[in-house]
Amino acid sequence: MATPALKMKHPGCAQSIVCDGNEAAAWAVALARPDLVAVYPITPQSSLVEYVSQFIADGKIQAELMNVEGEHSVLSALHGAALAGGRTYTATCGPGLAFMFEPYWRTPGMRLPIVASLVTRDGITPQCVWGGQQDAMTMKETGWIQIYCETVQEVLDTTIMAYRIAEHHDVMLPVNICHDGNYLSYGVTQVDVPEQSAVDDYLGEKDVNWHVALDPMRPMAVDPLTGGAGGPGPSKFVAYRKGLCEGMQNALGVIEQAHADWADIFGRDYAPLVEEYRLDDADYALVTIGSMTGAAKDAIDSARLRGERVGLIKIKTFRPFPVEAMTRALKKVEAVGVVDRSVHYGWDCGPLYQEVLSCLYRAGKPVASGSFIGGLAGADLTEGHFARAIERTAQLLAGTEFDGPVWLNEND
Amino acid sequence: MTAYNTIAFDPSRCELCNDCNACMTACSQIKAGTDDLLHSRIKIVAGFNGNPPELALCRQCGDPECTKSCPSTALTKNPETGLIDWDESLCIDCLLCTVGCTYGGITYNAELKHVAKCDHCDGDPACVKACPSGALTYITSASIFNEQHEREDLFVPGLSACQGCNSEMIMRHSLRKVGPDTVLATPPGCIPGMGSVGFNGTTGTKVPVFHPLLTNTASMLAGVKKQYNRMGRNVTAMALAGDGGAGDVGFQSLSGAAERNDQILFICVDNEGYMNTGMQASGSTSYGSWTTTTPVGTEMKGKRTSQKNLAMIMMNHNCEYVATASTAFVEDYYEKLDKALAASERGFAYLHIYSPCPTGWRFPSSQTIEVCRKGVETNFAPLWEYERGGELRFTHSIDNPLPVEAYLNLSGKYRHVSKEQLAHIQEQVNERVKSLKRFAGLN
Amino acid sequence: MNTTHYLIAGASHAGLEAVHRIRLVDETSPITLVTRDAHAPYSPTILPYVVSGQSAPERVVLRKADYFTQHNVTLISDNELVAINENDRVASLKSGDQWQYEKLLLATGADPIIPPIPGLSETPFHVLRTMQHAIDLREHAGKAKRAVVLGAGLIGMHGAENLRHAGLDVTIVEMCDQVLPGYFDPRAASVIETAFNDNGIHMVMGSRVVKVESQDNGCRITLENGNSLEADLLLVATGVKPQLDYLKGTSVQVDQGVLVDRNMRTDAPNIWAAGDVAQAADFYGEDKVMMGILPDAVTQGAIAAMDMAEDHALAPYVGGVPINTYTFFGQQAISVGQCMADAQLEELTRTDDDNQRYLKILLKDNRLHGISSINEEMDAGIMWQLILRKIDLTPVKDAFIARPLETGRALMSSTWR
Repeated sequence: MATPALKMKHPGCAQSIVCDGNEAAAWAVALARPDLVAVYPITPQSSLVEYVSQFIADGKIQAELMNVEGEHSVLSALHGAALAGGRTYTATCGPGLAFMFEPYWRTPGMRLPIVASLVTRDGITPQCVWGGQQDAMTMKETGWIQIYCETVQEVLDTTIMAYRIAEHHDVMLPVNICHDGNYLSYGVTQVDVPEQSAVDDYLGEKDVNWHVALDPMRPMAVDPLTGGAGGPGPSKFVAYRKGLCEGMQNALGVIEQAHADWADIFGRDYAPLVEEYRLDDADYALVTIGSMTGAAKDAIDSARLRGERVGLIKIKTFRPFPVEAMTRALKKVEAVGVVDRSVHYGWDCGPLYQEVLSCLYRAGKPVASGSFIGGLAGADLTEGHFARAIERTAQLLAGTEFDGPVWLNEND
Repeated sequence: MTAYNTIAFDPSRCELCNDCNACMTACSQIKAGTDDLLHSRIKIVAGFNGNPPELALCRQCGDPECTKSCPSTALTKNPETGLIDWDESLCIDCLLCTVGCTYGGITYNAELKHVAKCDHCDGDPACVKACPSGALTYITSASIFNEQHEREDLFVPGLSACQGCNSEMIMRHSLRKVGPDTVLATPPGCIPGMGSVGFNGTTGTKVPVFHPLLTNTASMLAGVKKQYNRMGRNVTAMALAGDGGAGDVGFQSLSGAAERNDQILFICVDNEGYMNTGMQASGSTSYGSWTTTTPVGTEMKGKRTSQKNLAMIMMNHNCEYVATASTAFVEDYYEKLDKALAASERGFAYLHIYSPCPTGWRFPSSQTIEVCRKGVETNFAPLWEYERGGELRFTHSIDNPLPVEAYLNLSGKYRHVSKEQLAHIQEQVNERVKSLKRFAGLN
Repeated sequence: MNTTHYLIAGASHAGLEAVHRIRLVDETSPITLVTRDAHAPYSPTILPYVVSGQSAPERVVLRKADYFTQHNVTLISDNELVAINENDRVASLKSGDQWQYEKLLLATGADPIIPPIPGLSETPFHVLRTMQHAIDLREHAGKAKRAVVLGAGLIGMHGAENLRHAGLDVTIVEMCDQVLPGYFDPRAASVIETAFNDNGIHMVMGSRVVKVESQDNGCRITLENGNSLEADLLLVATGVKPQLDYLKGTSVQVDQGVLVDRNMRTDAPNIWAAGDVAQAADFYGEDKVMMGILPDAVTQGAIAAMDMAEDHALAPYVGGVPINTYTFFGQQAISVGQCMADAQLEELTRTDDDNQRYLKILLKDNRLHGISSINEEMDAGIMWQLILRKIDLTPVKDAFIARPLETGRALMSSTWR
């Protein structure tokens, strides 16, 4: 399965291989040296857990592998292992994520630094097995950190970084590395695989249950009933809940530092929170998330050639939401078109758009905005789709607003 | 401190045999070689006004008055056996011992011209063996106290279980035996509800204890165990779950862990429903039971379907060890707990404990053990065990069971049961036993 | 000065039970037990059987030495309490040692009464209250042929029977017209008396000794009717009373014995009394009484100790009930409670002369007041409880009268359940 090394590209790089995003994630898991991996297959994540299983079978990952009977138990097993001090990993998406929900929304409260890949998939119904970010976006208020990747290389790199972020003592929160089903999961490209020793240095010693443990050597009750109307309940509950929110906010800085250190060691520099692309002299911009950004950038470049003063803002870290970075970027333009790969049912727009609106309020200046929704259920988002989005956003800049979202694949 | 064996008497069973005198005859025979009941050291006396018979027998008191009233040291409490020994060579026949005894346990035998008293026939009482109704039983569970009492109770005092709670008894007995190198998981239900996982930053247990989801106890424990195995540490992963968390919503994770043969000691405390949340029906609720979601009205008379037999289902997972147990047969339970604990080192061990609930089932809190006992004695809750690769083995005889009414009549939840329903329940009990017997290789 | 928390004077049933009860709730505070006896603790009740040889002194020890070691009890033998300074809580012993105590229990028992019979004090005679008395008497009996026993109470009767068993020619002289007065009615007493006569014991009833003279190898006893008896062994068994000289100068109130309340407290602070030395509540009346029976000594010792050790399980003394279980020449007599009817009591009797059986039941408002029997099987402890608990026998009265044993057993068995 491993591809022969091509050439050394960067310091800290062991080999370059050609692989898809699912395999890249598996390489990242191998380098992060987890103690326990629990898996249950689901499209389009399946090949990821197959790679991981094979790596374990080959001794490339020296972790315990649990083939459990469903995603619910997948994450439950990870809970147990994390509480016993183990570094853990799994991957899921779509209906699997939905089934995992009960332990999933409990994980942040227990401050367990579990890393899970979401190979994002659209929600059913209609029944579909293809990419889309509806699954991840549905989970945005559960307390998990969500980081969306643009490229296969970024999937590999960010999945390793996720452990550094999750296990940081100021954070202690679970992390979802989201990579788009179909586009990143199956998209094949050349990637650099970092050197194990460099990754070991980067991650340091794991220390995952210093704060909460199931260990006979330091017995404690994990998750006693907390709250209610009397006694110490209300204040205790607030302390836990507030602590989680603080951990979330701490994560912003930790994510930035993790990326900066990564760049220093491995030479690949990603905007950790919000990436600005040709924005400084732009009058208007598109806002994107995930793998669509590549095609969007091509469209921006084409528009620039036509003389459009258009730029792009890509969000990488969606939870916690990088309010300052996003607001700073938005302030640079007079109009934005936000392209979502999922929907916000309540506001009749995309969820990212809804968050951008909040930032625009903070920006303190009138910026025209519109919501674009595309790439649902594996639909392609091409340069052409983005060209249309740019065109409509330019109309916003000119004062022509539109009602409701623009469905980019509506006529495909 | 030592506990001792004792002879127990159940008047309601004694009544069944209508002055059979078998115990007294057996005693007279073994002590004097005669059928003359004068020589019997156990005396069954008729009750008043149609009440059940009563018993006069030496209670082998803990702080006996007879020995204190004995001027000759002929009577002594034996610290080894707990028996009050009588030494004929020392006795001066003063009869002062009979003044000390208020049980009619030591009396003058005019033929022998000595007092005579029960000596348990050296640990094999003839009266018990002769008793045809099971009214007399030789209780040897004292050995459990002797073996276990110095082990620490690993739950805190003052858990807020209902009076007469069987679950609390099971918890305390079980964890005391399993010991401190344990990670305990107790999914939502009565067990954490009574405070075992504590409140607001406190704990109710002296071992690490987790309040998992109702649904994920087994898989979560599997993760704990895997991690400790990886670290080379021997930690017991133990679950104390209710029937809902085990057999209903928690069944998937339970089944998965059993299939993977994860090294878990999983104890299901089956009180036939969601007693913690107010007595709603579960998949373990038996046919005809009143619960708040299978009420009794004009159109419905309690639960319309039978309970799933979770223990049998687990047996069919080919676990390392599966057994049913009852707190009325606690020696049996301890033996099974030992086996289950050992089996959990190899793989999945499952114990299913019938746990009648005084609050939810509507019986007096003093009757918990009696309900447990009748459950077993009617074959409603048969006791058996299974080890991987072997056959099912009954650990309490299923022959000559009491009619199932003897069990149902004790609980208010069956109060409304009609003749037809009763017949149906009896039929189910018979069928279940028949099915179990097939697994036991019988008939 | 020696110090102890609990000082117990007397090492028979009351004192030993007190040690036991204290140690049930107080495992550590020092207990000091003083006994005038040089022998290991024993029961006075055993002494007649030591005389006959049925019981060997070394086999009837109530507590072995290691018991006291194990229970952190200092046993001081061959010494006795001679004075008490209640203000300083100091007890002086015969040896001159002084013990400071926190709580003191008087369980010193009773001593034989020596009747003021002319000549008696100049004549060698025996009493039977201590092990040494028994050993001396046994030694003498082995050489003697004719014994006279003064008194047909329990000690006299047991003594006489055992001297008979030892092979002596025995005569009992008793002032009253019946044996064992207070325990048995004349009808029962006559059965016992007959048995004694049948077994070769001469019973001289209703007769007073007016003179005792010493003579070679024995004595001559002159009765008030002028008859005289010769004996080479004289046993005086005319009753017992406590020796209370050590209470001089204390505020402990005494009558026939040490007066105590229902917790066995004396009138003096930190001093309790139990057993034969104590005069405590009567179950039947208002006056405090001397009980002088073994089971009562145990009960009183227990109550005193529980009060001393502040045992919350303490239930006050309900009052003494006369109880006697008596076997004689293979027969048995049992009496629990009152044995003589008065106007308020309903008396029921059953006799079977052929089998020398006799039963008498005394009821008051259909509650058992007393029961006595000869050669009837009887659970004395159950009858005692029926009396103490004043159990209403109305629903079972006929059955109780017809079959007191079985009915009593059924009643108590159901009560315990």
